[in-house]
Amino acid sequence: MYEAMIELKNVTKRFGPLTAVDNVTLTVRAGEFFGFLGPNGAGKTTTIKMMTGLYQPTEGVCLINGHNVHFNSLPAKRSFGYVPDQPYLYEKLSGREFLYFVGGLFHMKHDQIREKMDALMDLFEIGPFVDKRGEEYSQGMRQRIVLTAALLHDPSVLIIDEPILGLDPRSARLVKDTLKRKTKEGLTVFMSTHLLEIVEELCDRIVIIKGGRIIHEAVQDESKRFNGQLESIFLELTK
Amino acid sequence: MRELLLVLQFKLTSFLKGIARPSWQAQLKNLSSLIVFGGFALGTFLVTKGVTGYLLETANIGLFLYHRFLSMVLYVFFITVNIGNVIVCYATLYRSEEVSFMMSLPISHAKIFLVRFVDNFFYSSSTLALIGIAAVLGYSAHFDLPWYVSFFSIVAVFLPYMLIAGIIAVITLMGLIRAAGLIGFRWLLTGVAGVYLGAVYFYFKTTNPVALVNAVMEHYPDVNAYFGYLDPPLVRYLPNHWVSEFLYWSVAGTPDRAIPFFMFLFFTMIGLITVAGLLARKLYYKTWLTVSDASALRGTRSGRHTGPGFLRFDRYPWFERVLLGNNMQTTSLFKRDFWMFFRDPGQWLHFLLMVLLLMIFMISVRSLELPATLPLMRAVSYLVVFMFIGFLIASIALRFVFPALSLEGRCFWAVRTSPMSLTRLYFHKLGFALLLIALLAEVLAFGSLPIFSPDPFLTGIGALCAFFAAVALTTLHLGTGALFALFREKNPIRVASSHGASLAFLGSMLYLTVLVLLLVVPLNNYFQAQVLPGRSPESQFLVPVGIIALISIVIAFFSTRAGLSSIRKDY
Repeated sequence: MYEAMIELKNVTKRFGPLTAVDNVTLTVRAGEFFGFLGPNGAGKTTTIKMMTGLYQPTEGVCLINGHNVHFNSLPAKRSFGYVPDQPYLYEKLSGREFLYFVGGLFHMKHDQIREKMDALMDLFEIGPFVDKRGEEYSQGMRQRIVLTAALLHDPSVLIIDEPILGLDPRSARLVKDTLKRKTKEGLTVFMSTHLLEIVEELCDRIVIIKGGRIIHEAVQDESKRFNGQLESIFLELTK
Repeated sequence: MRELLLVLQFKLTSFLKGIARPSWQAQLKNLSSLIVFGGFALGTFLVTKGVTGYLLETANIGLFLYHRFLSMVLYVFFITVNIGNVIVCYATLYRSEEVSFMMSLPISHAKIFLVRFVDNFFYSSSTLALIGIAAVLGYSAHFDLPWYVSFFSIVAVFLPYMLIAGIIAVITLMGLIRAAGLIGFRWLLTGVAGVYLGAVYFYFKTTNPVALVNAVMEHYPDVNAYFGYLDPPLVRYLPNHWVSEFLYWSVAGTPDRAIPFFMFLFFTMIGLITVAGLLARKLYYKTWLTVSDASALRGTRSGRHTGPGFLRFDRYPWFERVLLGNNMQTTSLFKRDFWMFFRDPGQWLHFLLMVLLLMIFMISVRSLELPATLPLMRAVSYLVVFMFIGFLIASIALRFVFPALSLEGRCFWAVRTSPMSLTRLYFHKLGFALLLIALLAEVLAFGSLPIFSPDPFLTGIGALCAFFAAVALTTLHLGTGALFALFREKNPIRVASSHGASLAFLGSMLYLTVLVLLLVVPLNNYFQAQVLPGRSPESQFLVPVGIIALISIVIAFFSTRAGLSSIRKDY
């Protein structure tokens, strides 16, 4: 396994005259839970979209598991699972069909998908609604289906944009516990969020981005915890 | 009134800002759109002028008969504008998020209705209006009408005529949604499709063009007289008749007799706007609630689960092996597209309707009795049928192939972030679309062209050209559909009536015109050789068919290239 699972090297994204992400360089190691913070419009989602191949960087490179997402995209994409901030599903397909669909795109056979789905279904408690169509889902249900889809092919990296958005407290707890456990099992998580208490609870390392530039980086471990200080640090840095 | 103007002002600002985008790519797109639309308008102008000149001066059919043909064309145009508005109105007036937002504001429902109707009318009818205006100008140029008469004909006669079609559409739609509560949407739509098909059938049955031509030609050479007594009484109450009568009396030198027809149109338009406004006050909110309730009901079907349709294909392993090459990615895409198509009544019902139209077309052509007339006339008849086949293929490609990539929609992230090559995705879509369109083209060619000659050669040429047309039109619509993809639009009908779709359709009409022009000479020679046997005419098809193949390949190549580069753009 490649030690640095995510590498962004001098990544810049411009939309006409606007520079949304400006020369960002960062590395996320295997098994790390990485928090990506920033105020609205800081460039978090743009960065994630470049990491997942949805945007082409104007300059710089994005490597996932050592593969360039834009020039060697298929091996890179095989390595990660992605949960977008707006988890849109096909309205006319059921959650189960969506999972079969995504599994198929990752070249998984039906038996493999079924086996994996059964395990994840219990984990995210999607059983009661998995056979309803996408048009019937609430935001929380969609989020849980998409999380299941992202973990279906056993990725080594999980990229999540606002994971708790729209989840009720019970579902949020479920997701947090699952992510924590998966990280201990070796999964690398790159998470973008506004919710600082989640970052304090889960993340090993954080980066704060503002105006497209990294303005702060901090490590949190057993000896050094934020202890509720993250909010004041964040507010001070982003004012 | 202030609220209305404010909303319209913001819509106009948003539209203008949309046009004046700063990037050079966007400006280039706008410029190329302008060139294509301008070119098409110029083409329509020239064709109208040329055809009018040919019919009146060469064929000498007379002013009366010419205007009756014009009336028939206007009737088809009316139905087209009307159907377009019914379809798009449903999305703009009832399913739009903007309407949901406006409903939460202190604006009267009638005003929301009016704003959305104007929006919808311009959205769905602008291309047809462009064609119509260019045709009126071509007509005016032939008759050398003063500029103010042309201007009046466009602003006071033609545009109100289109508006009447649009208002009738929206009134019909409100009535239909009200009735849908009683008999259900699905049956209602089937019934409406039947009514429209019946309206076209009975119009042509009543006007009976062949009998009309025979009746007028009995008076040859005095064909320029007015034969109004031949008009069936019912037809006199139709707006297309009023437009053609207005034009007839304007060019016949008695404009005073044209004025009443302008008045009919004007007062009908005012009357219909009033009726629509009154109905909107009473019905718009109620019908909007009906549609919202129906959508909400779909979202809360308690206990109704959808079986995993994906697994049903497992019973037919040969299908996955043979057609999908046992590839999990292709299989997944196919199953997804299959179920999404057949679970959306808007999709399969529309497809069914189009297949029904194709069948009616084939049956009608097969029942034609072609007299052994002039070779040129036989060639023209052959080309008219061929052009119609092309038109049908283009319509199907526009409706079902153009939106194919837009239908990936907001869920495209799932495919884009998976290890699936976008080239494979593109060719997957192209392969299935081409298979279907080419099949339909061949069925149409083999089903209709043999009536022109028992010789299989001519049918073979038609089938070959239909295949090339299928390749060019499918690749053109898929490529432009990717170039102008609307991932946020859920309704494929709105995608198929967007600005980009109009461009694709105009492009396909241009291609079909070139194709037909290339076949005129060899076809004429072929039919002449049947009357006066001489040199074998078959070899004369070699060069035109070769050029058609070349043009089709060039279109396919560039469309596919543009499409492939477009789907790789930022999502």
